Amino acid sequence: MERDATAQASNTRVGADVGGTFTDLVTISDGRLRVDKTPSTPANPAEGVVDGVEASRVPPDSVAFFGHGTTVATNAVLEGEWADTALLTTAGFRDALEIGRQTRPDIYDFRAEKPEPVVPRDRRHEVPERLDERGSVVRELDEAAVRALGQDLAADDVESVAVSLLFAFENPTHERRVRDLLREEGVEVPISLSSTVLPEIREYERTLATALNAGLRPVVDSYVRELADRLESHGVTAPLRIVGSNGGLMAADAARERPVETLLSGPAAGVRGASYVAARAGTTDVAPRADTTDAAARADTTDAAAQAGTTNIAAQADTTHADETGGYADLLTMDMGGTSCDVSLVRDGEPLVSTETEVGEYPVAVPAVDVHTVGAGGGSIAHVDDGGALRVGPASAGADPGPVCYGRGGTEPTVTDAHLLLGRIDPDAFVADALDADATAVRAAFEPLADDLGVSVREAAAGVLDVANANTERALRVVSVERGHDPREFALVAYGGAGPLHATALAERLDVPEVVVPRAAGVLSALGLLVTDVTYDYAASMVRPWAEVTTGTLAETFAEFEREARSDLGDGAEIQFERSVDLRYAGQSFELRVSVPNPATAELDAAGASTPEETTQFHETADEQFHETADEQFHGTVAERFHEQHRTRYGHAEPDEPLELVTVRLRARRVVEPPPLAVEDRDGDPDAAVKTTRGVVFDGRERETRVYERETLPTESSLDGPAVIEGAESTTVVHPGQRARVDSNANLIVEIGGGE
Amino acid sequence: MTVSDDHASDSETHDERESVDSATHDERESVDSATHDERESVDPVTLEVVRNAFEAVAEEMNADLVRTAYSPNITERRDCSTALFDADGEMIAQAETMPVHLGAMPFSVAAAVEAFPRSQLQPGDSILLNDPFRGGAHLPDLTLVTPIFDAAGDELLAFAANRAHHADVGGATAGSVGAASTEIYEEGLRVPPVKLEIGHGRGDSDQKGVSTAVDSELNEDVLSILLANVRTPAERRGDLRAQTAANATGRRRFHDLLADHGETVPAAMDAVKDYSERRMRSALAELPDGRYEFTDELESDGRGNGPLPISVAVEIDDTDVRVDFAGTADQTAGPVNAVRAVTVSATYYAVRCVTDPEIPPNHGCYRPVEVDTPSGSLVDPEPPAAVVGGNLETSQRVTDAVFGALAAADPEAVPAAGQGTMNNVTFGGTDPRVRSTGNDESSAVAAGGTQYAFYETEAGGFGAHSAGDGNDGVHVHMSNTLNTPAEVLETAYPLRVERYELRPDTGGAGEFRGGLGLRRDIRVREHTSRFSLLAERHSRRPYGLAGGEPGATGGAYLVDDEGEPVEALDAKETRDLPPGSVVSVRTPGGGGFGDPEDRDTGRVVRDLRLGKLSVARARVVYGIDPDDVVAQLTDESAEES
Repeated sequence: MERDATAQASNTRVGADVGGTFTDLVTISDGRLRVDKTPSTPANPAEGVVDGVEASRVPPDSVAFFGHGTTVATNAVLEGEWADTALLTTAGFRDALEIGRQTRPDIYDFRAEKPEPVVPRDRRHEVPERLDERGSVVRELDEAAVRALGQDLAADDVESVAVSLLFAFENPTHERRVRDLLREEGVEVPISLSSTVLPEIREYERTLATALNAGLRPVVDSYVRELADRLESHGVTAPLRIVGSNGGLMAADAARERPVETLLSGPAAGVRGASYVAARAGTTDVAPRADTTDAAARADTTDAAAQAGTTNIAAQADTTHADETGGYADLLTMDMGGTSCDVSLVRDGEPLVSTETEVGEYPVAVPAVDVHTVGAGGGSIAHVDDGGALRVGPASAGADPGPVCYGRGGTEPTVTDAHLLLGRIDPDAFVADALDADATAVRAAFEPLADDLGVSVREAAAGVLDVANANTERALRVVSVERGHDPREFALVAYGGAGPLHATALAERLDVPEVVVPRAAGVLSALGLLVTDVTYDYAASMVRPWAEVTTGTLAETFAEFEREARSDLGDGAEIQFERSVDLRYAGQSFELRVSVPNPATAELDAAGASTPEETTQFHETADEQFHETADEQFHGTVAERFHEQHRTRYGHAEPDEPLELVTVRLRARRVVEPPPLAVEDRDGDPDAAVKTTRGVVFDGRERETRVYERETLPTESSLDGPAVIEGAESTTVVHPGQRARVDSNANLIVEIGGGE
Repeated sequence: MTVSDDHASDSETHDERESVDSATHDERESVDSATHDERESVDPVTLEVVRNAFEAVAEEMNADLVRTAYSPNITERRDCSTALFDADGEMIAQAETMPVHLGAMPFSVAAAVEAFPRSQLQPGDSILLNDPFRGGAHLPDLTLVTPIFDAAGDELLAFAANRAHHADVGGATAGSVGAASTEIYEEGLRVPPVKLEIGHGRGDSDQKGVSTAVDSELNEDVLSILLANVRTPAERRGDLRAQTAANATGRRRFHDLLADHGETVPAAMDAVKDYSERRMRSALAELPDGRYEFTDELESDGRGNGPLPISVAVEIDDTDVRVDFAGTADQTAGPVNAVRAVTVSATYYAVRCVTDPEIPPNHGCYRPVEVDTPSGSLVDPEPPAAVVGGNLETSQRVTDAVFGALAAADPEAVPAAGQGTMNNVTFGGTDPRVRSTGNDESSAVAAGGTQYAFYETEAGGFGAHSAGDGNDGVHVHMSNTLNTPAEVLETAYPLRVERYELRPDTGGAGEFRGGLGLRRDIRVREHTSRFSLLAERHSRRPYGLAGGEPGATGGAYLVDDEGEPVEALDAKETRDLPPGSVVSVRTPGGGGFGDPEDRDTGRVVRDLRLGKLSVARARVVYGIDPDDVVAQLTDESAEES
């Protein structure tokens, strides 16, 4: 296998994540982790990546793996800087993209404008053709009309073409024929088909995804090419891989063809990194918290709209990493930076995946890690509004001028300043690179706010934190409670510069029992790139009564996906498949995703709790009678899972009501060997790590509080709150009644009810 | 809105209506009592924290309702709303969905409380109603009100309520949005406040001593009457179940809040209302004092009566707004009478729009607003008036009238008229396609198909305003439902969408133009379908403001295979359509704002390039010379490349 071969020859693995300010590079060589931060180069992000590689002093030819997280597609959408794109639709539906779902952006704000359509009206063209809801042809494709359009487009200066025809998810023939005809007429720019990009019901969402994909192709293509070229000329021969919105790695070529799948590249990598670290956190050494049986049992009742192929993942994850797992598999993650906070949920080690992501003002129905963003960060500005309420954000002082305590000219009170006033961050050693904190200026900034509130400066500062936490708490509730998950069953993983300052208070509010502050909290996205499997998702809409779906039909669909996957992932690779279907009660229109056993082996393993590796081929050898029984068993197993999930999520189930199949899905995963996170054990007394003590305000009262230096805390040591733990990347607040400990991987674990 | 025993009346309908009015009167008085309450004051931080939590509860209820309902009208189009109310029946938080529902739901809570005083309520109860003369708006909107008690099950603290538009509630027309009824009895099953869920007192407590599992059972008697009177009982059952699940979520989450914030919660409920009231008043203070009048009209009631004037006088006195509908037409025979709850809701909405959109929506927003409606009028009818279109169409005209009056106070504070209609389209019949769904409707499969009732509303042009063009193809004012994706519609019903597009040239000209209306053509496949249209602005155009021209009227036609009109349909029409018929609904454009001569040439050129404006019309209304236009277009494309 490729992995093994390369692992022996050269074993350096590189993850490069491009952020707004810094490009983070994590390299792992011989189990040692190195982090380099170099300034990002927004005009040409590839430059910053190569700078990082140079800074890391890694011999380029030793790089066996290169993973990359990018915001190129995201920024293009946020700034409306995509390529000039033409859209071809079914006759009569030219404006479907612009009308959208016919809602206005805000019910009370009549000045709010709808987002600009991704393809303007004069570049949207109609194709005479029509399919019905089963994919049967109602009106033949008018090939002459398509050819004429092709000639116009070839002569035109459009940079990309999207084709989205009604019911193409049922039958892609017309779309494919349109593509071929356009090529014959000399259209040379990229062509994106809706039946490839998002073969799912609902024409607006599918058309929008296809149009975005088309618009992003030239943008992402040139970026990825440039990066690949630069890396190659730098001597890096490992193939470039890019993390997709779904949290899996894509080959560079796949990202160039399906850039709409990279819109959440960066955040997805962060969630991956968080779940990887958390899975190894908190344990004294081995003793996995969730054994295989446990995980599988839980997987059966898990809300699978949230995640694909639960059972397989859980089973495989445990067999793959059983020797080193332990730690936390069910997580809430929060990544709080200067202007905003991204939160998400991980269940059984797998990030929740949503098809209702919004990027800018556009709903993107392509599966993506369910990251919910709220405008609350360290730089968020506090003010009292004209109704007398204290508000925090969404306005932010950002990085420039930044909070008042940065001493760069900021004058408005921010969340970071509030922490400073309450003693939670060190006024002198605030951040290593000499940002001149000025407590007097911070006080001055808070005085008007305190006057408006009629309280002391200190109380105002505490209020600012409470409100910022309320905003974040609401976001955490959206990804947990609103999706049917009880936060009490989760650990909260905090990262980003400001995350660990807030997480311990948030955990109290959400009844989350433990907070994990990873060692590499500042570069989790880059780390995530190194631990992400290469995954591809395949899906096809098949709307029909579940009772009519045979295992044979499903097996054929999955088999076709598997063939595609083998070609996409490379023959001979170790590939794991996770099969799932989207089901609903006939008559409902929202589906739940249910993992299913391999229908091709259903007769062998009708209960289907886990499906072994894919060596078994589908043979139609069994007799009819046997097949019927297998079908029935299969239907029954899957239906039970559906009812159970429905009950978990919505509190009721209707076992007597018929089910309807909507979508068949396969996720193919080429497993990446995860890097070890070796740390040298450090002995000693935690008291020796106390740098100083200072007054820190908890619950309105200033308490003389120990301030620890995180890097010198001994392995396996623990300490009781109140305490402040200062690290190179972030500061963790341990509230009274909480207890923090350092695990064997140098992560901090804060037990919310654990202190004395 | 404490409904005291003084107001409890015998079951005479007239008195009932009176008592709802009295209740709203009490609302106004409660301003003083609430602000000077003995409850401890809530600090600004707690206020913001708890307000977030209340809103999250309403949103979680909504997410549950949309996801578990059965009919595309709720799941796809989201024609439903959820809200939390305090013990006085005053709204605390809402999920921002359907404007027409939101201001009207307090009437439902009041009616539920009136029918079931505290002594008759216990944890686990839920009250269902749709009677427009007892807390409802129109019959398709079924509202479920669930009282929430403290953990001990003693004190009534709040209500969770949700309203969902059901695609059929019986009556003369499939879909129950008929255009021809003259009495409410023709419009479907009328449900006075009744218990749909019967509670069995307090349930189990969790470790915090919070009552979590509230024990209740479905009132099968009520359900069976309801299901026996509708065309699509399985769908109704599923949607009702979703409604009970949504309120159960509201109740559970409210209990979580109690566990977290305890004693503060009642005070916080008062505080969020006071807070919104303060912000409303500070915004209203900026409008010039005075009395401003305006009259707009409904074209017809579908029974040959019309036009029907809606007259309004808006009196602004510092931070108080009084809206008087004296002079409005008497109630009419056709189904366009708007019950008082609907009129009040539409008025609240309009006033809300001239203030800061960021103000948290709750009862406090409504305290500065007083609404007077003459009894027996189009905007406050007596039973047994037909009312289905009052909620849908007249509500839109009420907002047009109130905006028109406010424009006299400050034209920049309001938009020009939008399409002013919801273009309600209903198809019903028997689906000839054989589907083995296996549910109780499928027994009809053997007999040749299943019954269906499909309802949707069509977007149109929004009015222009002083800062920009109106949005194209959106729902205006009292509606904000989504469309039905053609692919979902065709999968679920024996219909085919043949065309869905913007209508060029329909936005009223102006410095800023009105939004474009749209066109939606739907074919009836292989069966006869009962079609119903309930629309407005087919003959009277949506007004422009500040010199802007009115938007284009809408229309409806039977069209041939090429989409060419064969027969014009009335704006209010119910008829059977034979197989293969194609109905084309054309929706109105929005009114323009400001003098068309002041329109920026770049905007004209852009509309020309996008095909939203024809060259001929550009010449007529904007005085643009075609040659210049060609030159401009060339320049622009040169610039772009």
